[in-house]
Amino acid sequence: MDQIRIPGGEVLYKEYLPNGLAVLVLPKKQFLRTFGILSVRYGSFDSKFRVPGGDVVEVPPGIAHFLEHKLFEEEEGSVFDRYAAWGASVNAYTSYMQTSYLFSTIENWRESLAYLVEFVNAPHLTEENVEKEKGIIEQELRMYADHPDFKILSMLMENLYHEHPVRLDIGGTVESVRSITVEQLQLCYDTFYQPANMALVVVGDIDPEDACELVRSRYPERSGPGYAVERFDPKEPQEIVQPWAEAELPISRPRYMLGFKHDPLWQGEDLLRTQITMTLGLKLLAGRSSRAYGELYETGLIDDSFYASFRGLPRLAYSVFASDTDEPETLHERLVQRINQLKEGGVDAAEIERFKKDFWGRTVGSLDSFEFTANRITASHFEDVPYHRYLEVLQEVTAADVQSALQDLLDWDRSSVSILKPVNSRG
Amino acid sequence: MDFTQHELGPGVRLYLCETDKFTTLTCKAFVQQDLKPRTAAAAALVPLLLRRGAQRFPTTRDIARELEELYAADFSADVLKIGERQILEFYFQMIDPALLPEGEKLLRRGLETFWEISSRPYGSGRFHEPYFEQEKHTLIQELEGLVNEKHSYALVRCTALMCSEEPFGIYKYGDVDTVRSLENQEVYDHYQQLVNSYPLDVFVVGSGTEQAAEVLAELIKGRDGRNALHSPQQVEVGAPRCFEEFMDVQQAVLVMGYRTQITYPDANYYGLLVGNGILGGFPHSKLFMNVRERASLAYSVSSSIEGSKGLLTISAGISAEQQEQAVEIIQEQVRSIQEGMISREELEQTKSGMISSMNSMNDSPAGLINRNLIGIVHNQLRTIDEVVESISAVSLDDVVRAMQHLQHDTTYILRPSPQKGAANGSN
Repeated sequence: MDQIRIPGGEVLYKEYLPNGLAVLVLPKKQFLRTFGILSVRYGSFDSKFRVPGGDVVEVPPGIAHFLEHKLFEEEEGSVFDRYAAWGASVNAYTSYMQTSYLFSTIENWRESLAYLVEFVNAPHLTEENVEKEKGIIEQELRMYADHPDFKILSMLMENLYHEHPVRLDIGGTVESVRSITVEQLQLCYDTFYQPANMALVVVGDIDPEDACELVRSRYPERSGPGYAVERFDPKEPQEIVQPWAEAELPISRPRYMLGFKHDPLWQGEDLLRTQITMTLGLKLLAGRSSRAYGELYETGLIDDSFYASFRGLPRLAYSVFASDTDEPETLHERLVQRINQLKEGGVDAAEIERFKKDFWGRTVGSLDSFEFTANRITASHFEDVPYHRYLEVLQEVTAADVQSALQDLLDWDRSSVSILKPVNSRG
Repeated sequence: MDFTQHELGPGVRLYLCETDKFTTLTCKAFVQQDLKPRTAAAAALVPLLLRRGAQRFPTTRDIARELEELYAADFSADVLKIGERQILEFYFQMIDPALLPEGEKLLRRGLETFWEISSRPYGSGRFHEPYFEQEKHTLIQELEGLVNEKHSYALVRCTALMCSEEPFGIYKYGDVDTVRSLENQEVYDHYQQLVNSYPLDVFVVGSGTEQAAEVLAELIKGRDGRNALHSPQQVEVGAPRCFEEFMDVQQAVLVMGYRTQITYPDANYYGLLVGNGILGGFPHSKLFMNVRERASLAYSVSSSIEGSKGLLTISAGISAEQQEQAVEIIQEQVRSIQEGMISREELEQTKSGMISSMNSMNDSPAGLINRNLIGIVHNQLRTIDEVVESISAVSLDDVVRAMQHLQHDTTYILRPSPQKGAANGSN
């Protein structure tokens, strides 16, 4: 197996099976738990694609997430029961660009791992069980709709993007979910759930060769060779939809979110560098040690929910600033001033150096979390971002890089504000 | 992965877990007091004030900078409620000093910083007045903001209504009116008493704990934590009560509260824990299988135990029109366990799931520490192996006997307003 040294000095083992599946194993000495996660490069963005050797089709939003629910169904019993018998737990989630199935166990890691690759490769879709799932998913969508964090982010995306699928909830809408058919689910399954479109990451105190051999011998035969699925993102204009939007929800005080739309043009190490550079820049603007945080907090315009973050994927990039606040308009004015000030100059090299210590510590400390580390490894593989180079790239970034990234990316013409205001419907 | 225990003084205990398994050194200190309306609100204000500034770090920004210099060290404080005790928690984590340049020096600096922030708040003889006033406001907003997360809000409301005549009915952060009436000197004096004369338990997990112990012993010396505390009261249960509340939400949240009459010191405690696991602790549990998978009524449905006061709560996100059906199915599941309708698989799967998650605590510093909280409150720590043994020994009869103690006390439902935006609150 190939060996890759990751930040913190640990060694990641990697091998492609003949069927195209990427297997990545990170041995962790002394740990009792084994964590495995099998991911498909298929998420809520992938509603329009070319059927291999055939036509371009467009399916209703929410199918990737629907499939994730349905793969837990077996002809007899449920996947949960099998794992429970081993004392293991199993779960799954769907995001913009991937669907992941995971288990965590203390004992029986071999059985758990073999069954992970088995059940994900054995869909059991019937008219009856597909209909039954719609009620469950509807409750899931309604739960999120009542959640202010989700609500404000989805509002912001609708105001930044005209066409991009990030406008839609990962689970789709109640209406789109109701319209989904067994045939559509099967078509998407057959198209995307191909070993060459998938990656398996295993973390634990195990032998990498041993784990790899187990997967090689137990991975079910799939018909058809591996291929790259051609996907079509709608053409997204440069402009935003509208610069300001407000809505009401039963919450205790207003929420404010400011977003900047970026062009997702970075790939590979460039994307990693941009992620690091922007995260440093936003920490300087809005972190606990920033001038803005202190001033805005002192004047009561923000509370400790205030944050800023950069999200950069190969198909999507944006930055957000958010906080609960009693005066969203005033907060916005003050933030505009502070952002403009820092864009004009004043990125301090000494601060950036101190942040680098902080980022170094966070990176090394994050190795104790299996979930975080495995997600990083999967994302790194699918998005082709060399996270193993994180600490080197971090050292290379300069204050001048941070300065120019802030100038380029925090473009007011491509920004939008979303505000949630309380509606008082309680008696 | 057990702790060695050291007495630092009367009622002041230090627990050390020496291991080089993690990349971090983790330290948590807990002070406990009886839950009473006024002191609960006062203690809830302390964590907010501590993060504003200490003698050596007068502002949030100064604290943040120091933590960055320490390679992303992390400080936080919070209050928790266990039974009828309120726990003031101080948390500190830093990268394993062995991995840092000049590690020994940084370890001392880190722990001194931890204790400085925890025990020497900014101000003279009282909290800095502007901080005090502002954080009172923050806490009030926090209390009012509970409503923002509907599921946790519903759980808190249900137990508050259920235990309105008992100390347990007090929310961990107190209530708005009490907070509003708090005086600076009063809170400061109470805080001083808390750190100096209430039971204090300090846990350290990582490598080089001996050196950490020396530094901590120096910092904490001269304290006497012998203040006597009370145990929760048990009450007679009358006829079940029902409460409903209306809000402008998409999904209804149903919570059913039961009294168990069984707490941590009781012989049948583990029978009850396993019973709860069979009922609603896992995706293979009766609630998940019947309310979600068979009847499609909910996405989230589960049950949990409060083992110090003796409560069991069941919660489900449902459609309001299906309330009756949901309640019926839930009660049927409780009854079936009480009648011993539990298959061998259900019992074994639940026990191995619980044993597995207990053993998983070994893989997380916070898990290793937090699991001892209930033991501290009841003055009886149990090791992971002891708990695993107790769970293994639970028989079907133990489960039935324990679950027969359940008495339904309160049903609470948060439901959508009949007309959008109309004021319809009622009890």
